[in-house]
Amino acid sequence: MHLNNFLIFFLVATFLGCSENKIYHKKDFVFGTMIDIKIYGESDINADKVSGEIFNEFHRLHRLLHPWEKSPITNINDAISKKKPIVINNNEVITILTDAKYLEAKTQSLFNPSIGKLIKLWGFHSNEYVQEGIPNKDTIRNLVSSNPSMKSIKIKKKVLRSNNQDVQIDLGGYAKGYALDQAKKILTKNNVKNALINIGGNILAFGKHGEREWIVGIQNPRKPNAIATVSLKPGWAIGTSGDYQRFIIINDQRYSHLINPKTGYPESKTQSATILIPPSRNSGVLSDVFSKPLFIASSRNKIKIAKLLNIEDFLIVMDDDSIFISKSLNNKINWEKELDKKNITIF
Amino acid sequence: MIKKILQSSRLIKPGDWFIIFLFCLLIVISAKVLWDLPQGQYLEIHKNNEILATYSLNQKTKKQIHGPKGVTEVIINSGKVRFSSSPCPKKYCIHQGWIQKANQTIVCIPNQISIYIVGGKRAYDTINY
Repeated sequence: MHLNNFLIFFLVATFLGCSENKIYHKKDFVFGTMIDIKIYGESDINADKVSGEIFNEFHRLHRLLHPWEKSPITNINDAISKKKPIVINNNEVITILTDAKYLEAKTQSLFNPSIGKLIKLWGFHSNEYVQEGIPNKDTIRNLVSSNPSMKSIKIKKKVLRSNNQDVQIDLGGYAKGYALDQAKKILTKNNVKNALINIGGNILAFGKHGEREWIVGIQNPRKPNAIATVSLKPGWAIGTSGDYQRFIIINDQRYSHLINPKTGYPESKTQSATILIPPSRNSGVLSDVFSKPLFIASSRNKIKIAKLLNIEDFLIVMDDDSIFISKSLNNKINWEKELDKKNITIF
Repeated sequence: MIKKILQSSRLIKPGDWFIIFLFCLLIVISAKVLWDLPQGQYLEIHKNNEILATYSLNQKTKKQIHGPKGVTEVIINSGKVRFSSSPCPKKYCIHQGWIQKANQTIVCIPNQISIYIVGGKRAYDTINY
């Protein structure tokens, strides 16, 4: 009896301790991944309303940009494969495609949103993966040599054309970042000051966690815990490309969904690439898009690409567990105590 | 009234004070030990966006959770926990193996079930899973 009383007191004290911070927390599954929204310092009713609005927007974008379930994007892909022009009546889709084309050029096609055929070939255009082994070598080579690129896409007066039938748009490396930027608009419109939005590893720190900054854990690609944590200043975004959430294992070899557009094969020398993006109108998109070139580029080109894209903060985990980190990010990061720091190289 | 209190305080002998002191010390020490346990004490099972259940980790048991794809099974084994069977196609959640520290988490996206070890101080607000 006395022990029970003590336990009840202990539990009550624990929960009272937790309720001190005014955090509203909501999760949902959109874009085939988990979305985590935290709002600080708002009434539950208001936070509920705003997060509901954000989730509705995410579901709308999911339907708008879906790469294989019928959507404006699959309509465009159907037209391209039949070499037919198509009228796009949705200005948002035109803006997104134009931006994606610009970013492909900027990343020297290491971010290439037109390789839908390759992604499908590797079995990532499905909610249920059916293990069929490694795709045919010649099919991969043919798809790569046909050189699918957003460059082939011309949009004039709402009419889209491409002279490359192998172009299939897949905005998988863009949509989540774009959704972050849309969430930012909704938070601003509703006058919410502090929130943390996490869309499958693309994270936006909006404002702060009260007196302190939002703290984000950087996932260890091979273990279910963080290798490090980092405080995000208001408005900063963080994006990770990793081989640990979407991958297939064929003959004990891991194949990630991050396919190198230049080779047609999943990049296998990298476990994850994380970047921090300073506040800007499209920081969400940049956090999503710019992590891809860093993941895909060969190990000696990674640093070059980071310089080219003006990415000051990056952390890359290679397949042998060695870590490349930029000097700037190294100054901001807190390593996990148990991490072997021998393997860290600072650039 | 005051007389009575004075009388009763005279009833407490030096030895009693020692016992009282010993018990106070016991309370302080046990509180410290209990609060500072390095391992998370509770397992939270989330289904989609709701907390489905909270369990103690100090037990040996199996829990079945019904998700949109079917039944996922979680094993709790004296302080650690893992996914043991899942209807998801790629079984990433099972490959993650055991977790045992506070803040560790495994998410099974297809069946929309996630497990969290909670307790202790959270080191971060979110993680780039």
